[in-house]
Amino acid sequence: MKFDVVIIGGGLAGLTCGISLQRKGRRCAIVSAGQSALHFSSGYFDFLDRTADGKAVENPLDAVSALPEGHPYRKIGVEDLERYMGEVKPLFAGCGIELKGDWSRNCYRITPVGGVCPSWLCLGEFTPFTTAQAEVGRNVMVVNIPGYMDFNARFVAAGLEKRGAACRIVDVTVDELSGLRANPSEMRSSNIARLMDSGHVAVRFAEAVRMKLSGEDAVVLPAVFGLKDSSVPQKVAEIIGVRTEYVATMTPSVPGIRTQMRLRAAFERLGGTYILGDTVMPSEIRDGRVVCLSTVNFGNEKLYADAFVLAAGSFFSNGLAASRECVTEPVFGLDVHAADDRSKWGDMDFFKRQEYIGFGVKSDADFHAVKDGVSVSNLYVAGSVAGGYNPIAEGSGAGTAIMSAMSVAEHIISKIG
Amino acid sequence: MDNREFDVIVIGGGITGAGTARDCAMRGLKVLLVERMDIATGATGRNHGLLHSGARYAVTDMESAEECIRENMILRKIARHCVEETDGFFITLPEDDLGYQATFAAACNAAGIKAEIIDPGLARRIEPSVNPDLIGAVRVPDGAVDPFRLCAANVMDAKLHGAKVLVYSVVTRIMKEGDTVKGIEVLDTRSGQKSEYYAPITVNAGGIWGNAIAEMAGAHINMFPAKGSLLIFEHRVNNVVINRCRKPANADILVPGDTVSVLGTTSTKIPFEECDGVRVTADEVDLLISEGEKLAPALADTRILRAYAGVRPLVATDDDPSGRSISRGIVLLDHESRDGIRGFVSITGGKLMTYRLMGEWTADLVCKKLGVSQACRTAEVPLPGSEPVSMEKEPKKKIFAKAETGRHGGLASRIRHENELQNSLVCECENVTVGEIEYAEDNLDVNNLVDLRRRTRFGMGVCQGELCACRAAGLLKKAHRCSDEAMDDLKAFIEERWKGLYPVNWGAAMRENEYTQWVYSGMCGFGEYDTEPTE
Repeated sequence: MKFDVVIIGGGLAGLTCGISLQRKGRRCAIVSAGQSALHFSSGYFDFLDRTADGKAVENPLDAVSALPEGHPYRKIGVEDLERYMGEVKPLFAGCGIELKGDWSRNCYRITPVGGVCPSWLCLGEFTPFTTAQAEVGRNVMVVNIPGYMDFNARFVAAGLEKRGAACRIVDVTVDELSGLRANPSEMRSSNIARLMDSGHVAVRFAEAVRMKLSGEDAVVLPAVFGLKDSSVPQKVAEIIGVRTEYVATMTPSVPGIRTQMRLRAAFERLGGTYILGDTVMPSEIRDGRVVCLSTVNFGNEKLYADAFVLAAGSFFSNGLAASRECVTEPVFGLDVHAADDRSKWGDMDFFKRQEYIGFGVKSDADFHAVKDGVSVSNLYVAGSVAGGYNPIAEGSGAGTAIMSAMSVAEHIISKIG
Repeated sequence: MDNREFDVIVIGGGITGAGTARDCAMRGLKVLLVERMDIATGATGRNHGLLHSGARYAVTDMESAEECIRENMILRKIARHCVEETDGFFITLPEDDLGYQATFAAACNAAGIKAEIIDPGLARRIEPSVNPDLIGAVRVPDGAVDPFRLCAANVMDAKLHGAKVLVYSVVTRIMKEGDTVKGIEVLDTRSGQKSEYYAPITVNAGGIWGNAIAEMAGAHINMFPAKGSLLIFEHRVNNVVINRCRKPANADILVPGDTVSVLGTTSTKIPFEECDGVRVTADEVDLLISEGEKLAPALADTRILRAYAGVRPLVATDDDPSGRSISRGIVLLDHESRDGIRGFVSITGGKLMTYRLMGEWTADLVCKKLGVSQACRTAEVPLPGSEPVSMEKEPKKKIFAKAETGRHGGLASRIRHENELQNSLVCECENVTVGEIEYAEDNLDVNNLVDLRRRTRFGMGVCQGELCACRAAGLLKKAHRCSDEAMDDLKAFIEERWKGLYPVNWGAAMRENEYTQWVYSGMCGFGEYDTEPTE
């Protein structure tokens, strides 16, 4: 099979790159092994939350110049970054994904445990809070769905109270959920959302919430609405009748799964080929180029392309692999940024910066992957498989994925036409 | 007597203290058991969980071997729910001296340990994971024992016999009048309150920390902390305990226990200052794996769940002031005859296997001093939960019923499953329900998530508590009182989990760790990344 571009990895980076290329008329295939990091999303996209010394960033673009050389943002440069940032909301809107927030400024988000963190843009049901107070209301009713343990109403309420709100935690459920509760492991966000998607259940739930209101000016709900139908969160809010805030749950993330599904659908609508549940086999680089890929399912039927993009994610997604001795990139054996000494891979304190999170493939200024010290002319890296930055420490996971993917798409277009 | 006066105070909530407290309580004494942290947090909870047959000691220490096999047979009767009768092999590999096998088997049989030399081919058929190159195998009655469960059962039975148990209570002072120990001053580390308790006899069962307790009373015991590191593998690689048939060395025992296999140990003398918070080093991990794969080659490719280390309390014999001669067996010190300190006894040395006998000797001495003439019954009376359970009585066949019975034996029937919430699974790896967590918190002295893990196996599966920790944090009673405390507890649990994962952070474990980082440091914004409101 012959494509213009074959992309390894169907997460935020791979899909953004594929959509950008398809929109310019390039024929792409994406090979995806399955879940992506979007499945444990906070519902917010980070761009650059913190400086190296841990201070919250207000204007992300201003903080880019202080990043180390080799950081994906430094490779792209402020000028192009600014252009891409402005394009993100329209790009996602074209895929049926509403993003809120001012792309030139960071916002704040409420965490699943009630804290407040800086962030950048957010999905439609959330609020891009402009201050760290993240004020929801004076008197807030926090909804607990009995038996659903991946949203802790008590933690969320305690956080709101610290920031000055008066909170009341109220149990709300509907009969339809008892089917889930009969099986002890089924009370998951995605299963609840699937039920809520059949409109009348969400309506009944929202009415039950409204019935329990006793003068509160705001309601907080777990973000378990709108797996396929993104209008559900808004409908629920309208029935409740007072300000309704959705707070992200522990994984899996309903808004994240929905986003991933919509990006994939948009890619396919644009003519892209999404190959799901397949894994790329170790492949050869010959004369500084990738000629083709083999996958587990296609066997001898090879995937040929002019350019290839490695957007396979980090360790969790098997884009990188670590043995007791070393860190490797399993498909091409590319050069990686990683400490040789295993004892330097992490910090003994879990909540300190972990170096291994920043490990990844080496790439040149145009995101060409590097093997044995030499750039591979038609292989690019995008997203967290790339090294040179620590997305958790700096809070830049979604931003680096989207920006590097957009940049790679432009490089490919300018190079292969 | 008021509630501060007891017949005997036992310091140390490890297996020795728990066994001693149970024995004393069963003889009708009014007992106070004091533990500075949770029960089973020292060496008790940080070993192989091997139900030694005694074979390991047969050649070098006949007395220990005989004690082991006697206690082994007793535990099979009194602690049925803590014991798995797996049998064990002592294998000879090509690089070992096959001649040792006959000496070994003869010594075992002389000690009363049934040791049978079997054909290596038969050994491979019985235990397919064993190194196929083996040239000799001896079958012995080794087994597996869950030390957390055993310790908890002893504490529970002590309480059923009237003992008072204080956890998270540090002994800050031993009160003396002249040469006589009168009692202890205790600091409750949760409330910050100090209290005094009195008894005519105080027993020091503090393991390696017993060294400092003895010093507080004015006595000196020549102890040496020896660190031993172990690895837990993600599934049961073997069903029969595998040992090397040679003089005891590093990483020569592989024990199956519940859903996992445990490999160990190393042995390194460490300074006393390092006894708290010992960590497993990269070199120890490498040594354990390279030696362990000689027992069972599959270990080379099996995911390691976590690494941990314990500190053995080695005791020098009293007659050797140089401290080079280590007592192998049980060391019971009557400080009255030894040091002229009345009302103070230390029990140390020994092993997990001989805890009951250590308790018996200590209770004998305590009773003698108090003029009580009650006989020991701990070898006959089963521990709570040990009674046989028929699974057929459970017609509902809920997926968690079997797991609960495995963990709590006959006491599992006390776990309430009266509504859907109590049936909800919190930990999906180990099938721990809301009902079981409520039971543990109400009946088993659970103060935090790490305690809960020791009582229920919650968070012990492949995901190591990644998501269930947050669920359980919201369920414990403290979450209802103070969510800050519950959040700190959650963070402490994640740190404790990381302590075991950090030394084995590669492969599948690293994938899991990265995911956990995204969830807790990223999504939840814990730790370094907490951003306080700036306004």
